[in-house]
Amino acid sequence: MIEKIISLLFLIGSLTYLYWAQEFTFGTLGSPKSGFLPNLAGVTALLLSLLLIFRQFRLKKTKNKDAVDWTKFLFILIGFAFYLMILTIVGYFAATFIFLFYLFKVADTSGWRVPLAISFCGSAAFHLLFTYYLKVALP
Amino acid sequence: MDILNLLLQGVSVSILPANLLSCIIGVLIGTLVGVLPGIDTVSAIALLLPFSYGMDSTAALIMFAGIYYGSKYGGSTTSILLNVPGEAASVVTCLDGYPMGQKGRAGAALAISAIGSFIAGTIGLIGLTLLAPPLAQAALAFGPPEYFSLSLVGLILLSKLTGTSTLKSALMAVIGIMLSTIGLDSLSGISRFTFGIDELDRGFDLSIIAMGLFGIGEILTAMTHADAKPDIPSVKFRDLYPTKEEWQRSITPMFRGGIVGFLVGLLPGPAATISSFISYGLEKRYSKHPEEFGHGAIEGVAGPEAANNSAISATMIPLLSLGLPFCGATAILLSGFMIHGITPGPSLITERPELFWGLIASMYIGNVLLLIINLPLIGVFVQLLKTPLNFLMPLVAVVTLTGAYSINNSMFDLIWVIFFGILGFLLQRAGFEPSPLIIGLVLGPELERGLTQGLIICNGNIWTFITRPLAATILSLGFIVILYNFVTWFTKFNNKRKELDANRS
Repeated sequence: MIEKIISLLFLIGSLTYLYWAQEFTFGTLGSPKSGFLPNLAGVTALLLSLLLIFRQFRLKKTKNKDAVDWTKFLFILIGFAFYLMILTIVGYFAATFIFLFYLFKVADTSGWRVPLAISFCGSAAFHLLFTYYLKVALP
Repeated sequence: MDILNLLLQGVSVSILPANLLSCIIGVLIGTLVGVLPGIDTVSAIALLLPFSYGMDSTAALIMFAGIYYGSKYGGSTTSILLNVPGEAASVVTCLDGYPMGQKGRAGAALAISAIGSFIAGTIGLIGLTLLAPPLAQAALAFGPPEYFSLSLVGLILLSKLTGTSTLKSALMAVIGIMLSTIGLDSLSGISRFTFGIDELDRGFDLSIIAMGLFGIGEILTAMTHADAKPDIPSVKFRDLYPTKEEWQRSITPMFRGGIVGFLVGLLPGPAATISSFISYGLEKRYSKHPEEFGHGAIEGVAGPEAANNSAISATMIPLLSLGLPFCGATAILLSGFMIHGITPGPSLITERPELFWGLIASMYIGNVLLLIINLPLIGVFVQLLKTPLNFLMPLVAVVTLTGAYSINNSMFDLIWVIFFGILGFLLQRAGFEPSPLIIGLVLGPELERGLTQGLIICNGNIWTFITRPLAATILSLGFIVILYNFVTWFTKFNNKRKELDANRS
């Protein structure tokens, strides 16, 4: 199912890309312009997506993939979004500490003390490493 | 003789304390990356790109190369001990390595794998030393049509050779090309697909996409799968001695694997993985004990492990001499070169000989270091396998995100790295291999430059490409591959139709 959804998304993506590619001049064979490759690539992607969808519907083969914990996946995504939101507000150290602790709990680490301690030490270590060793201006 | 002198000069560069230390760090990280199943070579290099900013360019590249070839050494450890390949190239090692472990010969399998990797790695390096300079010299004569032909055929071969379906790989490569068109067009200066967003003008940073697709993608995969605690056998140094028979049976497969790996490594695609499978097939065919394959045949460990290491050295040839990466890992290495303001390609050998030869010499040294490090430290690596992923992965996620931010100090990049991470995870679930996308992204600008400039040179006459001997030779190779694909598909289709007709009647 996910294979078909992804292929369909690629088809929509290729169509959208091709639509936007029309904004750029194609040029001629003797003088190709900025729209030349985008148009060629868009058409190729469109054809390949169509072929893939056609093949997937014909084959009707379902592969037994190992199970994914989609709830965990969703919680990780929420964690990423939350991290992006708070990073500039509370600063790198605090945001990373909260984010790490949250991820540890999502990843089913047992207890509170060890995850809390690793989150604190981890965020402090990364903060020191990136700020003082790599001279990165962290938020 | 010239090459030997230049190589010796390279040795003098690579044994400088900073470079030697980088080599040691690189091969150690590489081995760890290979040993830990949750982390991939490409994502590890992508992850460490920001850490190299403050480093000298030669030392940084020596470290990245060390990670690249070191990971193939470590990859076999989990295959043999856990039946879980640490690297895609070590999948085939599970077939006989794990049964050997079950029979109490894990130590011997690990030793043969490390020695085979060393021998074949050296074969590959000799090939790299001898082939890269003349190829770089020849590439000076390449014009836009030749570069276009090489990029195009590289992408065609890549689609054919990548493990998953040809169609899927081709689509991924084209999507990579499409992504490469986002940003300022280097030829006309026009902003394409940026929608007025200034950050998009510089296009997508290769390391951002790689960190997302491979780094965050892997983290999501590891964290959303049930983690069964594996039973890891303990291996001591004294267990590492292979018997005389095991030695005798391994030596020819090691050399054969080395040669096969080197030849396959010259082709675009995941050469290490493909060469290990080819080598396994060859060993099974030529073995006096084919019935033992799949039940713990030492040749099934020696050959493939040798092949994947030799292939690694060969994949460096197109990168160093042509500036064209033909697999995911070399594409990330290219990114490492670019970050330090170095453009690999024909001029590298003449403009930065100390870097070129220093890098190659460091690979010889790294190969020896890996043999020295791998065998005595095997017990430590086995202990590392016991690191719980639920503690490791969140830490890796933070390093990846911080690393992504530090490239341009941009929150925008963070959003993209997460977006590509989700995409990488979903692509893996749907059976799409993300490597061709990265190659498409890297080769896209080269392809566009070659095509547009080539067409302008040829006054729009596309047939002129075919009259240029080099371009014609390269293009015919691509044509043969397409033709072969079509004939294979048609034969299968025809046979299926005949079968259906026969069933009906």
